[in-house]
Amino acid sequence: MIFSSITFLYYFLPAVLVVYFISPKQLKNTVLLISSLIFYGWGEPKYVFLMIATVMLGYVFGLLIEHFKGKALSKLFLAVSVALSLAALAYFKYADFFIANFNSVTGLSIPLLRLALPIGISFYTFQILSYTVDVYRGTVTAQRNPVNLGAYIALFPQLIAGPIVRYSDIDRQLAARSHTFDKTAAGFRRLIIGLAKKVLIANTLGELCDTFTQSADLSVMYYWLYGASYMLQIYFDFSGYSDMAIGLGKIFGFKFMENFDYPFISRSISEFWRRWHISLGTWFRDYVYIPLGGNRVKRLRMLFNIFIVWFLTGFWHGAEWNFIIWGLYFGILLTIEKFFFTDILKKHKIFAHIYVIFFVFVSFMIFSAGNLAQAFDYLRGMFGMKDLPLLSAETVYNLKNYGFVLIIAAIGATPAVKFIRNRFYARIKNTLLPDVAEIIIFAVLLLIVTGYLADGSFNPFLYFRF
Amino acid sequence: MKHKNIITTVIFALMISAISALCLFKPHTIYSESERRFLAEKPVFSLDSVAAGEFMSEFEGYAADQFPARDKLRSLKAMFAEYILNKKDNNGLFTADGHISKIEYPANPHMTSHAKERFDYLYKTYMQDKNVNVYLSVVPDKNYFLAQKNGYPSINYEEFISSFKHEMDYMKYIDILPMLTLDDYYKTDSHWRQEKIQDIAWHIAESMGADAKSLYTVNTLDYPFEGVYMGQSALPSKPDTLKYLTNDILSECKVSYFDSGKAVTGDMYDMEKAYGKDPYEIFLSGTSALIEIDNPNAKTDKELVLFRDSFGSSLAPLLVPGYSKVTVVDIRYLQSSFLGNFIKFDNQDVLFLYSTTLLNNSMGMR
Repeated sequence: MIFSSITFLYYFLPAVLVVYFISPKQLKNTVLLISSLIFYGWGEPKYVFLMIATVMLGYVFGLLIEHFKGKALSKLFLAVSVALSLAALAYFKYADFFIANFNSVTGLSIPLLRLALPIGISFYTFQILSYTVDVYRGTVTAQRNPVNLGAYIALFPQLIAGPIVRYSDIDRQLAARSHTFDKTAAGFRRLIIGLAKKVLIANTLGELCDTFTQSADLSVMYYWLYGASYMLQIYFDFSGYSDMAIGLGKIFGFKFMENFDYPFISRSISEFWRRWHISLGTWFRDYVYIPLGGNRVKRLRMLFNIFIVWFLTGFWHGAEWNFIIWGLYFGILLTIEKFFFTDILKKHKIFAHIYVIFFVFVSFMIFSAGNLAQAFDYLRGMFGMKDLPLLSAETVYNLKNYGFVLIIAAIGATPAVKFIRNRFYARIKNTLLPDVAEIIIFAVLLLIVTGYLADGSFNPFLYFRF
Repeated sequence: MKHKNIITTVIFALMISAISALCLFKPHTIYSESERRFLAEKPVFSLDSVAAGEFMSEFEGYAADQFPARDKLRSLKAMFAEYILNKKDNNGLFTADGHISKIEYPANPHMTSHAKERFDYLYKTYMQDKNVNVYLSVVPDKNYFLAQKNGYPSINYEEFISSFKHEMDYMKYIDILPMLTLDDYYKTDSHWRQEKIQDIAWHIAESMGADAKSLYTVNTLDYPFEGVYMGQSALPSKPDTLKYLTNDILSECKVSYFDSGKAVTGDMYDMEKAYGKDPYEIFLSGTSALIEIDNPNAKTDKELVLFRDSFGSSLAPLLVPGYSKVTVVDIRYLQSSFLGNFIKFDNQDVLFLYSTTLLNNSMGMR
C-alpha cells in the first residue's frame, strides 16, 4: 500500500486511527504492529512472513547480544545477526545482479532467480542492523517486548521508504509517548504537504520523464529537460514521502528525524549530502565510516573508507552498476572537494551553487538510467554526442506543457515558500486570517490530491525499488 | 495556536472520516457516463485472491473508480492542472479553437503495420483477381486542423496517409483531405458531423463511379450531445448539437444487422441510442460487425462493401443513394477470416474508409 492512494487515505488510515485512539495505552503498539503488517501485506502478502521472521530474529539476537554483553558470544551473535540480515538483503535484492555478473565473467548461464523485491527491505534491514549494533554497543537496551520491537521495525509510516529511524531515537517513544492536538494537527499538515509534493508535483514531472523515455523525437535539450524533471521529481517524490511518514508519525505520537533539508540550495557536495536523504547519510557515517576509522586515519586509509562508504551508498540504491557508479561518482567528488575545493567554494557562492546543481544533475542522469549502458547513453545525449538536433517539436511542446510545473518545483525545492509564509504571518499577526487561510488551503490541497487519485492519474513511487 | 490545532485536528479528522464513510456506504455506480466506461466492481474476497495479491490490486482500482463525487473531483483535478499548473493537456486531452481533442502522437509503426497487414489479408483472400474495384480513403482526426497550429505534437499526416496510399497500391486512393475543415467535426467529440459531410460522400461516390447525390432533411436531436472528449476532459464546456439527415430513399431502405449471426432488421438511425450513453451511436446503431442496407429505390444495381470504423457510421447512409446495396463491415467485431461466410465478393465497389486514429491504434482489427 502506498500513502498516496485512495485505499490508504480513506480506508486504511481512518480505520487504524479509530482503532488506535480507542485502544488503551498498553495496546496501542499492538494496534500499530497489526496494522503495519496489514499495510505491508497489502502489497506483498507472502512477504509478511519474512517481515515477522525478520522481527523475531532481531528480537532474539538483541536479547542474546545483551545477555552475553562483554563476552565473545555477544560479538558472535552480533556477527550472525548482521550476516543474516545482510544475507536476506543480498538474496532478495542482489542475487540476480551477482548471478548476471558471474555469468558474464565466466560465460556460464546460471538462471536468474527473478525474485520479487520485498518492499522496503533496504530500509528495514538497516533499521534492524542499527538496533543490534546499538544493543551491542550498549547505547540502547534490548527490547524485551517483541510487540514493541515489531512496532518499531514494521511501523507503517516509515516502513517502506524511511526515514531510516534509529531504534535509539524512538525506544522511549515506543514505551511512552504523548498524543496532543498540537502534534496531530502538525501531523495532518505535514501529511498533506507530503501528499501534495508527491501527487501534484512529483507525479506530474514523472509524466514528463515517462514521455521522454518513450520518445522517438529526442533532442539535446530534451535530455536536459528530462534531467531537470527527474532531479526534481525524485526530490519531491522522496521528500514528499518522508513528509508523509513524519506527519503520520506525529499523528501516532512519534517524532521521526528529518530526511531532507532543501538539498538544492547547497554550496558543496558534502553539504548536499548533509541535506539529502539525511537518515541514510548519517546511517552510513555512524555504522560504516566511523567504525572503519573515519577521517582520523592516514590519508590512504581515509580514501579507502570514503570509497567503501560511497560504493555501499550506491549499491544500497539498486542492484545495477549505474547505482554503484553513481555512488562512487559522489565519493570522487567529495574527495576532490575535500582536498582541493573547500576554500574556492566558500569564496565563490554563485559558482558553488552552479557547481553543486551541475554535478548533482549529472549524477541523477546516471541514477535514472536502467543500467550502465543507458546511463552513458543519457550522458552522451545530454552533451550532444548522439547526433541529435538541439531542439525537437516534442521538446518544445513538453517545455511549454511542463515549464510552469518545473518553475514551481524549482522554487518549491528552496526555502522560498517557507520564507514567504513567514513574512505573510509576520505582517498579519494577531488576526485569525492566516490560521483560517491555512486550514482552507490544506483542505483544498487534500481535495485536489484526492481528485488526482480518483482520476487514477500517473502514480508511481520511485523509492519503492530501494 | 492551541485552538488552531484543535480546529485543524477536528476538521481533518472529520473530513477524512466523512469521506471514508461515503466511500463505504455510497451505492455502487456501474457505468461512468462522462468517461464512457464501466467502472471497477468490488473484488471478491477470498484467501486465494488475497494470497495472489489480486484482491488488493483490484481493490485499488475499485476504490478509485467508486469514489464519491468522482466526476466533480476529476473536474477539480483538470482545472488545477490547466489553470494552476498551466498544463497544456490533461491526460492527453486539450482545448483549442473551441474544440476538445486528444493528442494523437506519435505515429505507431506497429499499429500501422498491423492495419496494412489486415488490408493485405482482406485483399488477397477475397478481392484479388475478382471483379471488384477497391478504394481507400483515410479520414484525418481533427488534430490535423488543430494540433500543429496550436503547438501540440501531432503525427505527420501527409507522411502517414502517404504510406497507406503507396503501400496499398492495389487500392485506388480517394483524397478527401482538401475538402475537410475543422468545422466538419464536433467540438466535444472525435467524429465528423453528418450534416457537414454530404460533399465528402458525394465526392467518394463519384470517385467510385456512383452518383450518391440526394436531397436531405436536416433533423436536430432534441438532446444535448456531450461528445466523448467532453466527459474525459472533465473541464466545463458546452455540448454539441447532433444533426442527422433523412429522406425518403433512406427511410425506405431495409437495414439488416448481423451481430448475432442472423439478420435483425433495424433502422438507419437508432433513436434509442440517441438518448443513450453515446448519441453518436444513432448512426447505424453504433458498433456493429456487419450491416446490410438494401436500397429499393436505387437507379443502379451497383453494390458497395464498406470496410469502416465509427467515422463510416455517419457517412455510410450518405453513400446509399448511389448503390442498390451497401454492406458495412467492421473488422474490429468480425474476424476477417469469417468474412467469406457472409459476403461474396463479385462485381462490387469495395471501399476501405478508416480514420487516422484507428489506423494508429489498430490492434483491435481482427
